[in-house]
Amino acid sequence: MTTLNSLLKKLIKASAGRSRFIMAVVGLSVALLLILSAVQIQMNYNDLLNSKTNQDSIANFLVINKTVTSSNVGETALTPAEIDDLKKQPFVDDVGILTASRYKLSAQGVSDQIPFYTELFFESVPDAFLDVTNKDWQWNQDSKFIPMIIPNMFLDMYNFGFATSQNLPQLSQELVMNLPVQINIRTTLGTVNYYGKVVGFSDRISSVLVPQNFMDWANEKYGEQGKKQPSRVVIRTRDAGNPQLVSYLTQHNLTTDADKTRFSKYRQIVTGVVNVSWVTGAVMLLFALLIFTLFIQLTIASCKEEIVLLVTLGAAPKQLQRFLMKQFFPPNIVIVVVVLLVISMLQFVLKQLLDKQNIYVNGLISPYTIAAGVVILTVLYLVNRFSIKKYIYQDK
Amino acid sequence: MTINLNNIVPIPLKEKFSQRGSDVWNRNVTLEKGEWIKIKAPSGTGKTTLVHTLYKLRDDYQGTVVWNGKELRGISDDNLALMRQQNISIIFQDLRLFQQLTARENIELNRLLQQPYYEAGKIAEMAEELQVTHILNQRAGLCSYGEQQRIAIIRSLMQPFDWLLMDEPFSHLDKNNTAKAAALIARECKARNAGFILTDLDEDEHFTYSRYMNL
Repeated sequence: MTTLNSLLKKLIKASAGRSRFIMAVVGLSVALLLILSAVQIQMNYNDLLNSKTNQDSIANFLVINKTVTSSNVGETALTPAEIDDLKKQPFVDDVGILTASRYKLSAQGVSDQIPFYTELFFESVPDAFLDVTNKDWQWNQDSKFIPMIIPNMFLDMYNFGFATSQNLPQLSQELVMNLPVQINIRTTLGTVNYYGKVVGFSDRISSVLVPQNFMDWANEKYGEQGKKQPSRVVIRTRDAGNPQLVSYLTQHNLTTDADKTRFSKYRQIVTGVVNVSWVTGAVMLLFALLIFTLFIQLTIASCKEEIVLLVTLGAAPKQLQRFLMKQFFPPNIVIVVVVLLVISMLQFVLKQLLDKQNIYVNGLISPYTIAAGVVILTVLYLVNRFSIKKYIYQDK
Repeated sequence: MTINLNNIVPIPLKEKFSQRGSDVWNRNVTLEKGEWIKIKAPSGTGKTTLVHTLYKLRDDYQGTVVWNGKELRGISDDNLALMRQQNISIIFQDLRLFQQLTARENIELNRLLQQPYYEAGKIAEMAEELQVTHILNQRAGLCSYGEQQRIAIIRSLMQPFDWLLMDEPFSHLDKNNTAKAAALIARECKARNAGFILTDLDEDEHFTYSRYMNL
């Protein structure tokens, strides 16, 4: 049976620029492959940073303070404006303020087996920033002891440096946690004694930590100086290797544990590769769109007489537009689908390769990659529609 | 569907008309639904110009053409297409067939541009009547003018219309074929209760005209 479409197909042949059409298809395919690969690589990288199996819990929390130089000694406090600015940065998820004790205190051993005495300070940080979860980590005014978290590094320094050189016994974590400590807080009215107990060891924050509510209470009660600005903060970040973070810290004369930001260099390389892929893909997409537009223009121009006569006989421009859309758009869908399939295959192969190196990425392509494909398809649709409309109305 | 011609004067022919009188140019003329109108005029006085003006193929005239209350100049592309599908059909003097399509495809195309008015079988029926059955599957470009003219006539009758515009529609036909074509056209116009405007060089008695006009 003859249909209007089959008749129109005979009249409006797209064969006018077969080679241009193939060029446009190839160009578009490569462009899409580059762009969607860039999206997929980005997604894989995000996956590596965020997924549970790959997460390095230390790397996600950074203690930040001003670099102490000869010019700013004694003025290393962070102003509220500086902290607010830090909070606003896209790479900072959360900022926790390290509160320092505003009273003098010392600690000493209670038992005779391990006698010691040391001047001490406390700091506190909101619980969300701690890497130690412990049922003993709580305090109220009726508590018998003050729970403390000390850095693992302290114990290591003692065990492997101090103890061996001074011929003292090495201490295990369990032993330290069972060791009662007397805390002396010196006030203007005399010394107040408390008991303290180490309840955990932190790799994250190198300080002697006490619960925030104890700190607030004790500062209120024994604090000598007025409220002081904090000079250290903890930030939570999804990616300690973010080059933006590193450059922000440098710019603002801030410093953190450099080791934790070491991924920054690798990250820059990945970002570089992704960006090159992006830009190349985008430029190619632009050219492919241009060729497609030219191809549509050429086809319509080569069928100018037919189109004019069709309109004369009563074909609506919209009818012709719909017909041309059916001719030109479906190849675009095919290209996007094929490219997505190719990327799925590549992703699967990549997973196999990385699995061997204990790096775990998703075997399936990211929904974002598919979404990007759909977005590009929409752009193609609009460009197709626009150029068909433009040239049809030019002709008729 | 009435057609009002309000003082239309084609700009290219403006000088010529000032010299002599005309029943159409520079007058107010109302063509009522169902009228069968013969417009007689010598060569070069604007027969084709008039037909093309009425069909909105050209805009280079003064005055206004009003189709059923709507000014032709202001009509949108989509409404124009709708009008050409539903209300006006045309037989061009220069035939205007798609040379690369077969005779049948040319007719079929106009049948399918809108919701078909006739079944596809009607094509063979009319072709039989006008004795062009044998060329239906031949490319239009290979048909003689006489054959092409009959194809153009059948094509124009494949769609619904209120007015049929015919620009020297029998110029390539002999007496016998002209009579057959005229009979077919008359029958189709009556069936639709439609009017027509036929332009020609000479007097004729192909139809029982309701109005004669001189250009």
